[in-house]
Amino acid sequence: MEQSSLTFRYKELERAWDGEKVYEVFIGPQHPASGHMRFIVRLDGDIIVNVEPDIGYVHRTMEKLAETKEYIKSIPLFERATIIDSNNITLGYVRALEKLLGIEVPPRARYLRTLLSEINRIASHLYGLGLAGIFINHSTMFMWGFGDREIWLQLAEELTGARLTHTYSIPGGVRSDLPQDFKDRALKAIRYMERRLKDYMKIFFNNPVTVARYKDIGILKKEDAKRLGIVGPNLRASGVRYDARLVEDYGAYREIDFEVPVREEGDALSRLLLRIDEIKISMDIIRQVLEKIPDGPILAEKYLRLIPPKLRKTMEETGRVKFPGLFASLRPPPGEATARVEMGHGEVFYHIISDGSPKPYRVRIVTPSFRNLLLLRYLPVGHRFMDFPAIYGSVDYFPPEADR
Amino acid sequence: MSILSSVKRHIDAISTGLKYLFASSRMTVRYPEYSITLRDNYRGMIRYYKDKCISCSLCARICPADAIKMYRKAGEKKMYPGINYQRCIFCGFCVSICPADALEHTPVHDIAWESLEEMIFPPEEFGREWVSPALEEGARRVKAVFDEKRGLTHVPE
Repeated sequence: MEQSSLTFRYKELERAWDGEKVYEVFIGPQHPASGHMRFIVRLDGDIIVNVEPDIGYVHRTMEKLAETKEYIKSIPLFERATIIDSNNITLGYVRALEKLLGIEVPPRARYLRTLLSEINRIASHLYGLGLAGIFINHSTMFMWGFGDREIWLQLAEELTGARLTHTYSIPGGVRSDLPQDFKDRALKAIRYMERRLKDYMKIFFNNPVTVARYKDIGILKKEDAKRLGIVGPNLRASGVRYDARLVEDYGAYREIDFEVPVREEGDALSRLLLRIDEIKISMDIIRQVLEKIPDGPILAEKYLRLIPPKLRKTMEETGRVKFPGLFASLRPPPGEATARVEMGHGEVFYHIISDGSPKPYRVRIVTPSFRNLLLLRYLPVGHRFMDFPAIYGSVDYFPPEADR
Repeated sequence: MSILSSVKRHIDAISTGLKYLFASSRMTVRYPEYSITLRDNYRGMIRYYKDKCISCSLCARICPADAIKMYRKAGEKKMYPGINYQRCIFCGFCVSICPADALEHTPVHDIAWESLEEMIFPPEEFGREWVSPALEEGARRVKAVFDEKRGLTHVPE
């Protein structure tokens, strides 16, 4: 019985691939390098003829769960979609919620959000680059990426009180003010990282051993990138200058002078190098934020008024925001709002529908990793099997984010 | 890539590796012997002050993980919060919303329990003071310092 079903499977495959003999290789979901997902790779000899990404292993019904929670409770929930980039992923939700509530964010809070967003972006890129390194067995890159990420996590911890789950942006502002010694410490971290990036180039990105693995591998043409709806560094490495930080007016990006890096080649190497470029730009943005940050409140006036005077005094002393009691059951008027935010992996899109109750009627999240997933289906085809991990690493795909 | 530049880049890569072999920059700390002092704003274990509490139950209402529950003793009218650390995600919403400052974070996070039941703290025990077990056993305190050459290091206080 078992034999006949195997025969059937083989015949089915034979039909599917025009009579060619095709191997099926399953990568994941247990393999440490595959992340929480599975690829069904079909090979003709050593050449990849088809890849089927099989996702959903870490689906946590986040959109549906959000419908059962009061608005503010979804902030810690969505954070867990991309725990390595938690301010950026929640910022989209908070912004859409602010649009529904009709709240203006004070300038200092906008700058602080930008500051943490860029710290998150650097940490996210270092995570992605480290994993790309270990995918091709370069454990030095892995250790360095994860080690240097610790510096940015330390900065984020000093700002927010938590290493990863910052829960920093709230409707109307942010939860804590800049610590006194933060500027000094952040500038030291930036100077260290700038020095360190030169060593990254020497040991990994200019190293002929790794360049041979990445150069001209998995080329994504400009037209294909546009047609497939790719976002983030993967899109910009193919020559398209698109970034949610440019097209949406959020945070302090309009008041900050920065260039979005773009590369033309579209291969795996340029996707990785673009992330290095972005780390440099992010560090420059952090410098400017620390220089230009205006004084003032970090929570919207509308909510500050609701906090008792005694607590407002402790807020000023400790630099930590107290919530008005209203936050436990925010009731936005019926309506819809959308928001886009540029994360480390690309653009995240939120769509909230409110029916006037304390819980959202519907929350839709389109995450960058889900949109970039298509790349894993198209890019590896025609390459040798050993190129598959190199391409996967270069795309910086994050399964929990795509599965939500 | 010409052979000459390829050779140069190989040498660059190897010499960079050798440089770090001799001048390593370790960021980790040998934990039970050394303990990193967390800053005051760290969102660690939560401490409850019953004398300040006004029984408004906002903490239980805003808790996104349903970790905080209001308890009522037989014969008493007022309800007081208790916490279940099996569920707590340390977002600190309860501390932020408390209108009487009856909850606060302590910079302690290295607590472990032997059973799940021990992780539930009714109001009377919610107010206990938290001490790091490593420090109790005489760990040396170190603090995080940023260094332009070595990145993140930890120096004794």
